[in-house]
Amino acid sequence: MKFISYKTRDQWVKNLSAKARVVAPVDSKGKIIYKQINSADEAVWNFEKTDLPAKTWYFPMTEPILYIEQGKQTKLTEAPVPSPVVMFGVRPCDARSGLILDELFIGKPPIDRQYANHRETLTMIGLACSEMWETCFCTAVGGAPDSHDGLDILLTEVEGGYALEVLTEKGNKAIDGVAIEEKDLKIPEATLREGLPVVRNSKEWSTLFNDLYWKELSNSCISCRACAFVCPTCRCYDVRDELVTIKPGVKNYERLRAWDTCTMAGYRRIAGGHNPRETTEKRLRNRFYCKFMYYPEDFGPIACIGCGRCIEVCPVGINIQEIIAQVDHLLDTAAVKA
Amino acid sequence: MTSGSKNSYETLASKDLDFILPALGTITLMQDLADNIKLVRVELDDPAARKNFVFEPGQFTEVSVFGVGESPFGLAGAWQPEGGLEFAVNRVGTVTDALFRLDLGDQVGIRGPLGNGFPMHLYRGKDVLVLGGGIGGAPLRPIIQTIFKNRKDYGKVTILWAARTPGLLVFTEEYDDWCAQPDTLMHITVDQAPDGWTHEVGLITTLLEKIKPPVENTVTVTCGPPIMIKFAMMSLEKLGFAPEQNWVTLEAKMKCGIGKCGRCNLGEKFICVDGPVFCFSEVREFLESFV
Repeated sequence: MKFISYKTRDQWVKNLSAKARVVAPVDSKGKIIYKQINSADEAVWNFEKTDLPAKTWYFPMTEPILYIEQGKQTKLTEAPVPSPVVMFGVRPCDARSGLILDELFIGKPPIDRQYANHRETLTMIGLACSEMWETCFCTAVGGAPDSHDGLDILLTEVEGGYALEVLTEKGNKAIDGVAIEEKDLKIPEATLREGLPVVRNSKEWSTLFNDLYWKELSNSCISCRACAFVCPTCRCYDVRDELVTIKPGVKNYERLRAWDTCTMAGYRRIAGGHNPRETTEKRLRNRFYCKFMYYPEDFGPIACIGCGRCIEVCPVGINIQEIIAQVDHLLDTAAVKA
Repeated sequence: MTSGSKNSYETLASKDLDFILPALGTITLMQDLADNIKLVRVELDDPAARKNFVFEPGQFTEVSVFGVGESPFGLAGAWQPEGGLEFAVNRVGTVTDALFRLDLGDQVGIRGPLGNGFPMHLYRGKDVLVLGGGIGGAPLRPIIQTIFKNRKDYGKVTILWAARTPGLLVFTEEYDDWCAQPDTLMHITVDQAPDGWTHEVGLITTLLEKIKPPVENTVTVTCGPPIMIKFAMMSLEKLGFAPEQNWVTLEAKMKCGIGKCGRCNLGEKFICVDGPVFCFSEVREFLESFV
C-alpha cells in the first residue's frame, strides 16, 4: 500500500506550490477555512471539519463572471479559466458535494462554463475522517467517512503519515515526483455514529408539504441565513454589476456572481412587490424541500452531504437531522392512520 | 395533458446558447406606453446574432443595463425578420429605472431567447380568449400579432384588457387596429375610471363573467399580477372552462434564466426553463402556489 510520511507531505506541498495554487485548511482567527498556502506549516492538518465547505474553491462566495468596459463601444470579456488548484484536506463529504452540484451546473444544459472551469482545474486530495463527529450524518445521506466519491486522491492518517490511494488521472498527475513508499498498512476504520435518521424519498416528502410541522419549525427561525452560508450544496446565486474603475470616457465594471439564499425574506419578491414566499415558514420549508425533494426530482441526488455545519451555526437550534427524523416519524404516523 | 410546450432545457441543449456573455444591442425606439411604462426596442448589433434570434410568443430575455444589472423581460412584440426586440418596461426597480434613463443609440446586453413560449400550434383552429392585466398585456401582444398575421389559422379572438386606471392600459394606440380585424372583439375595463370613460369599470373577472365567452373549442391565455391570474382562473372555471383550456405565463425574479441560480423555483419547477408559460392544468397541481 502507498504511504507518505509527514515530511514527504510537506515536500509535496512545496513542490506543488511551484506549479499550482495549493489550498489547505488554515486557522483563520479561530475558524478553519480553505486558503492558499505556500508551505505545509501554514496549514492545519489536525482538524475535524472546516467551518466553510470546499465549495468555496469551485463555487466561490463572490467572483466576477464578466468584465464590462463601457466607453464609446461596450466591450465584454468573460472571466479567464482559473489557474490550477490542488486542494489538501478535503473531507469526503465535501468532495461528494461537488458531484451533487455537477448535476446542476454541468449535467443539465447549458453547461455553466465558469463552474466547469473551476472543476476541471481543481484536484481534490481528500483526508478520510477518523470518526463521525457530533453533528455528522454522512452515512444517512449516502456518504461515508472514507468515501472516494469526487476525490482524486484519498489520504488516511496512519502512524507516521498517511496511506495514499490514487483515485483518478488527475490524482496520478498530482503525485508526480513524490517520494511514495510501499508499506504494509492497516487502514484504521472510522468510528461511525449510530441511530441516524432515515431520509425518506422525494415522493414521500411531497405528502407533507402542507403539514403544520413547518409552521412550528419556523417559529424560531430568524432568517439569518447562516445555514445556507455554510452549506456545501446550497448553490443559489445573485448576479450584480460593480463599478471597478472610472477613467475619462471609460467605465469598467465587473459582473459578480455571489452566493444567495432562498431563506432571505425578499428572495422571491417580484417587481411590484408580490412575494409568493412571504412567510418564514414558506421560506424555511423551501430550503428543506429543495434538499430532499426538488433537487432529487430535478437533478438526481439529494442536496445534503450530512456534514452538519448548518446545525453548528444555527443560533436557534434548528437541526436538519431532527427534521429528517421528524419527517420519517410523520410519515410513519400517517401510514398507521391510513 | 401536459403543457405541450417543450421544457426549454431541450431548446437550451440544442442551441449553442451563451448564458454568461450577453449579445450587444442598441436601443432604436423608446416611447411612452402608459404611466411609468415605456416601450423599448433593441436591435442586436451583430447581423448574425440578429438573424439567429428567432423566438416564440411568450419567451423572454435577460436585458443588461451594464453597470446596473440584468433583469428578465418578456418579449412584447412578435418575431419578425430583422424586426428588433421589443420590451414593455415598467419603472419599478433598479434595472428598469436605469433603462428609463437610457437614450436612443445606447447599448444594452441581451441574453436569450429564454423560456418555453406559448404552444401556438395547439391554438390553431380554435377561438382564442386573451386576458391581459396591466403590463401583463405585454407578453400577450406577440400572440395577438401572430394570430392577426395568420388570421385564417385561428378562430374568433376575444381580448379582455384590464388595468387599474386608464393611464395604465398598454398598447392603447393599437386597439383600433385590433378591433378592425375580422372576428375580433375587444373589451376594456379599469378599476377606477374618470368621468367620461366609455369602457367598462371593474375587475377583469366581473367583465369575464358578464360577457360569458363561449367555452367550446376555445383556448384562453392569461397574464397579469398573480392575484389576477388566480381569480381569472376561478372565473373561467365557473364559466365552464376546463383547466386544460387555460394557459398562463408566470413571473419571477430571475438571475440566470437557465435553471441554475435557483431564484424562480415553484416547488421543483423553474419558471425560467419549465415555463414561463404553463397550462393551468399543470399549475393547479404544483406543490407550491404561485400566488
